[in-house]
Amino acid sequence: MPTIFRTVAALAVLGLLAGCDLVGLDDEPNPNGPSLEDILDNPTEANLANLAIGVEASARLGLGTYLVDVGVLGREYWRVSPSDPRFTQDLLGGAESVLDNNTFYITTPWGARYRTVRNANTLLSALEGNETLSDGEKAATRGFARTWIAYQYLLNLNLTFENGVRFIEPGADAAGPLVGYDEALDRIAALFDQADGDFGAAGSADFFFPTTLGVGGDVEGYRQINRALAARVDAYREDWDGVLDALDGSFIDADGDLEAGAYHQFSTGAGDINNPFFFPLDGGGDGVLAHPSFVADIAPGDDRISKVAERTSARTFDGLTSNYDTDVYESPTSPIPVVTNGELVLLRAEANAQRTDDDAVDDINVIRNAAGLDDYEGDTDTGALIDEVLRQRRYQLFAEGHRWIDLRRYGRLGTLPIDRPNDNVFDRFPVPEADASDA
Amino acid sequence: MPTLSLRAAVVAVLAALPALAAAQGSVQGVVTDASSGATLPGVTVFVEASNIGTTTNADGAYELSLPPGQRTLTFSFVGYLTQEVEVPAGQTRLDVALEEDLLGLDEVVVTGLGTTVRRANLANSVETISARELAEVTTPQTLDGALNGKVTGAVVNANSGAPGGGINIRLRGITTINGNSQPLYVVDGVIISNDAVANGINAVSRAAAGGNASNQDNPVSRVADLAPEDIESLEVLKGPSAAAIYGARAANGVVVIRTKRGQAGRTDVRFGQTLGFTRIARTLGTRQFTEASAIDQFTTPPDDDATPEEIAQFNESVERIRGLYRSGEAAGFYDYEDALFGNTGLMATSNLSISGGNETTKFFASGIVKDDEGIVEGTGYEKQSGRLNLTHRLSRMFELDANANYVRSVARRGITGNDNSGTTFGVGLVATPNFVDLFPDANGTYPDNPFNSANFLQTRDLASISETNNRVFGSGRLTVNLLTSATQSLQLIGVGGVDYYALDQASLFPVELQFEPDDGLAGTSILGRTTNLNTNVQALLVHGYAPADRDLQFTTQVGFTAFDQDFNNVSSVAQGLIPNQQNLDQASALQTGQARLFQNDRAFFAQEEVNYRSAIIGTIGVRAERSSANGDVDTYYAYPKAGLALNLTNLGLFDSEFVDLVKLRAAFGQTGNTAPFGAKFTTFGTLAVGGNIGLNIGGQRGFADVSPERASEIEGGIDLTLFDGSVNLELTGYSKTVDDLLLTRQVPPSSGFALETFNGGQLRNNGVEVGLSLIPVDGPMVRWISRTSFWANDAEVTELTVPAFQAAGGGFGSTLGSIRIEEGKSPTQIVGIDDGEVVALGDVAPDFQMSFFNDVQIARRLRVTLFGHWKKGGDVINLTELLSDLSGTSPDFDADADGDGTPDGPQRVSQLGVSARPFVQDASYFRLREVGLYYDVAPRFFGPLAGGLQSLRVGVSATNLFTITPYKSYDPEVSNFGSQPVASGVEVTPFPSSRNVLFHVNLGL
Repeated sequence: MPTIFRTVAALAVLGLLAGCDLVGLDDEPNPNGPSLEDILDNPTEANLANLAIGVEASARLGLGTYLVDVGVLGREYWRVSPSDPRFTQDLLGGAESVLDNNTFYITTPWGARYRTVRNANTLLSALEGNETLSDGEKAATRGFARTWIAYQYLLNLNLTFENGVRFIEPGADAAGPLVGYDEALDRIAALFDQADGDFGAAGSADFFFPTTLGVGGDVEGYRQINRALAARVDAYREDWDGVLDALDGSFIDADGDLEAGAYHQFSTGAGDINNPFFFPLDGGGDGVLAHPSFVADIAPGDDRISKVAERTSARTFDGLTSNYDTDVYESPTSPIPVVTNGELVLLRAEANAQRTDDDAVDDINVIRNAAGLDDYEGDTDTGALIDEVLRQRRYQLFAEGHRWIDLRRYGRLGTLPIDRPNDNVFDRFPVPEADASDA
Repeated sequence: MPTLSLRAAVVAVLAALPALAAAQGSVQGVVTDASSGATLPGVTVFVEASNIGTTTNADGAYELSLPPGQRTLTFSFVGYLTQEVEVPAGQTRLDVALEEDLLGLDEVVVTGLGTTVRRANLANSVETISARELAEVTTPQTLDGALNGKVTGAVVNANSGAPGGGINIRLRGITTINGNSQPLYVVDGVIISNDAVANGINAVSRAAAGGNASNQDNPVSRVADLAPEDIESLEVLKGPSAAAIYGARAANGVVVIRTKRGQAGRTDVRFGQTLGFTRIARTLGTRQFTEASAIDQFTTPPDDDATPEEIAQFNESVERIRGLYRSGEAAGFYDYEDALFGNTGLMATSNLSISGGNETTKFFASGIVKDDEGIVEGTGYEKQSGRLNLTHRLSRMFELDANANYVRSVARRGITGNDNSGTTFGVGLVATPNFVDLFPDANGTYPDNPFNSANFLQTRDLASISETNNRVFGSGRLTVNLLTSATQSLQLIGVGGVDYYALDQASLFPVELQFEPDDGLAGTSILGRTTNLNTNVQALLVHGYAPADRDLQFTTQVGFTAFDQDFNNVSSVAQGLIPNQQNLDQASALQTGQARLFQNDRAFFAQEEVNYRSAIIGTIGVRAERSSANGDVDTYYAYPKAGLALNLTNLGLFDSEFVDLVKLRAAFGQTGNTAPFGAKFTTFGTLAVGGNIGLNIGGQRGFADVSPERASEIEGGIDLTLFDGSVNLELTGYSKTVDDLLLTRQVPPSSGFALETFNGGQLRNNGVEVGLSLIPVDGPMVRWISRTSFWANDAEVTELTVPAFQAAGGGFGSTLGSIRIEEGKSPTQIVGIDDGEVVALGDVAPDFQMSFFNDVQIARRLRVTLFGHWKKGGDVINLTELLSDLSGTSPDFDADADGDGTPDGPQRVSQLGVSARPFVQDASYFRLREVGLYYDVAPRFFGPLAGGLQSLRVGVSATNLFTITPYKSYDPEVSNFGSQPVASGVEVTPFPSSRNVLFHVNLGL
């Protein structure tokens, strides 16, 4: 039957032709986003710019939980939630509970900070392969990345304190061992300094990507942010000369707006996120009640009472009653500070007070006057001045993540109010379970 | 017996070549139905032990030439028992009456991709569900729902009672922990999509905002689109031993569906109309408050050292509750369960089918229109489906099948289940005491619900939540008979198919809703669009060889398949809407996400069947498959299979007049489960800041070497047919082991990543399945067919290389009870705290299940069908009761069942944080799933219609007529997290299930 053979032959040919397309398969890259290898293999300026933007963008993730953690432990406010009792139990040590090492209040911010470190380290690694940027631009970018890496370690160390943090090198799969508080602070300070050197090496070069922190619109601005944060670390290290040195390179300006500084920006734009610490006022659901002591302890005439809002009726939740909501972030797009001029002025006051330098009072008065208070008239010994600095920091930096750390470094966590009989004030968070032991 | 494909080839050839059948004296006759006497067109008639055969024509007549010395004919037809008849010497006429195959003993079953085998020759237990069982007892809303209880060895669970499906099907236990867990659906040879696409309503419910990120949007599985009415038969290949030839997507079993085809002969027109109603199956009631209990529940007395201000505040709140209570009392209280779930929904389905054709061209066309309302006003399910199936024989060599099906379905499922925002119907209902007024005033303004962030009546009436799917299935098959001789046949079969759908999910929560202003952006519009294209190509060669004595027959097939999937989902959430607007550009905030998925699978396969006198039937086969989803896209993973059936009767070992068949069977096979798409990639996500888009590394570290899971199964069994085919017993045991499980492990977060998927660990399922079919009575007045099935499965995690963890969708942590994957334990175990320790509190998997199908036909006109389903054991985590207790609204809140003086509500609440035991409840049930009562009206009553009408059937049917269960909520079948790989049986204020009563009129024209 020759027709059959012809047909078979024709079908076989057809099959083979079709087979060229059909038998093979496409080993396509992930269509849902670039892969890590794609970026490392193609370190174009556009890719690197996206990485750099991603560093600033991801530094905002988990920030809401971070502010809850340090603010609730520092009794600045209570985070109340009908759907999650852990905010008012675990974080306050309610009913003698302890902080868990596998719960969102530590795993979320800790993981988010290391994610930003990964982003910045990827930027550092990819930068080496680029051949179109100038040396100056590369140096500026290194300064940018290392500043962020140092700041991320600092935020995690703020949470875990003596439990320490891990450091991870660019290109490494896994981080090194846990490093204790003092050594970690030294390494963070060194990273800030290294970044400062990078900025110095940048010369007149500028960033080849947009930045959003406000003050740091250019390399010089970023360098000032770097020095401002370095001053904070030096204060934590009690290196008071270091604080003053660092502040010299920062944007400190006793005559300027105390709110000026570097801020995380938020928007409702596509792909962006809202301020994670924005809560409706006077609500009955999730919210942030100001700790009653904020109002009880505030000086008469202190304008900073505006950082809390009186409720139409007091709210009682889980045995905690307050008449005030925290009112620092007013809308879903309010920025959250990284570091402000007000903090820098108070850092200088603190350093001078520690060095028994009378200039401390001038800076304290800058803060007091801005809040509508008269000049400081108390004792000018170091102890009294530090009391006043901490008091001003409490009100000036309310809901910006400082009070718990400030009281801890002066050993004063014991002065915090215990709101319910079996509550506790913790001085540190545990390292998350998955990072707790060295594998 | 030769395999059907071999025969089909031969039939095709010989029917086209009557001239060949001339030389040796011929025989002719008519084939009829033994009970009705109607002629049967399309019956296959063969000369035994030869390749000579034909089919009966439109009048049931055949004519055949007989080779010398061969006078035995076999007559076979779908739905009838095969008969062998010897033509007496010298006789040239032979009329045959075929008996109906009431127990399905003689049906043919798919075993390869191009071949079929008679059930009596199978080495596996394969479930076949006929059109009658599937869609003719009652009118099912969706295909997946119609399978419930009908598949021996399956755990089928409706995730909620919401209209439009959402069914979880697991065959022979747990086969994966993180991979795809649903069976593969193959319709007319083409793999169709069974995606479950979330509708994004989480933007409002915030169900995943708490500790559990799993999808709680209550999605439907897209297999629900397929109209059950169009299905001729459905076979379930339950495990790897039967499904190995489907390879790397078949680890969860395969559902092989054949749609209806036309028969040569008279054009058959059928019209069916169903009308009915649906009501909530079970109500729970609510607590009847008194003034004192209302004040006690909703106010908190001040402490002893309270300030005068605090005391004043307390007194104010007491007065407020008192005021609310008294106005509620004056209004006679409110039954919100009835207001919300008390709708009587109308259900209507119209179904027209036309089929017919001649010897060369056959067609089946159907149109189905379904419009069902739900038990919540505004919810419902609509479907319009049109199908055309064509079969055309171009020549004796070529035969072509073409199938096209368009389906449009609309599901309006409301917003139910868990939330973290008080917005779902159920959470709102349990939070609301029966004295507060939520009904709109004369101006249509809804009062705010003072006890919840949402007024659920307002949400129900003003929000709109719908999912509209437009879907096209198309497939074609070309069969080429390359060679036919007395001993050999060779066929080339090419199959191609597409399945495309475009799913629009639109949800609008207008600015007026009570909860909408809470996030600072009033009004939410969620729009999702998903398109998916599946394409299939398959080419195979089937060779049949039967040496002259025909004791041995060989069927060989080799082939190639290609499967491609292209999935694209775009989902946008717009908030801060201009009033009365839905479009995305009418909002102050817009977030958009897109997810795409590409997958290419390529496989070669080969299978050999050897049949010795239908007494010893052996099969071996292998499929080698690679996939773009695997880490190594070039590696072919091989999935072998082997099966052996020993028909002791045909071997002559059982020569008893009571025993028709004794068969021993054993089979082994392996299948895979492809790695989840994207598991091999480390991918950046995007995150914008300051109007610029940045790259942010994803939380999942890619596992470059990811490979498929591998399921191996060995099954064995005995089939017995006794007493002239009136008793059939099938006993099956199996052991299924899954290796290289796709597991997710936590990586140290200091690496910058959170998770990684990898291969490791092992699962094992052992089970038994028993099917007993009986014809207890078979007379002209009464014919009773009964089928009882029993099945049980025992699963264990035999190896786990990561610490024990909560299964995806396995609850909300051990305080509330959680499904935990742990080495040495059942993968569906429920653990929870109890006296300060985490202990095992139950298991979602049932101890066993039984189903009871009884079909009684009286005087050939009245037909009663009862289908019952018993699930023994299996627990559910009931959090609806907990939420009701926490809000003080549970119906038995004030009761005191144990008589200890503490009311039940406070007693249960006091256990929260102490023991999860109260939440883990026995979810055994017996359910009368389907009841049908049909009457065939005698032609003499047709009256004026007598001229045009062939048949008239009227009937009434019901689903879920009653359920007996100790479980304390709406339905023991429930899953807040939808179809998860392992977890089900977590209940959080679901959409209650319903009871449907339907009236049917079916006309044959």
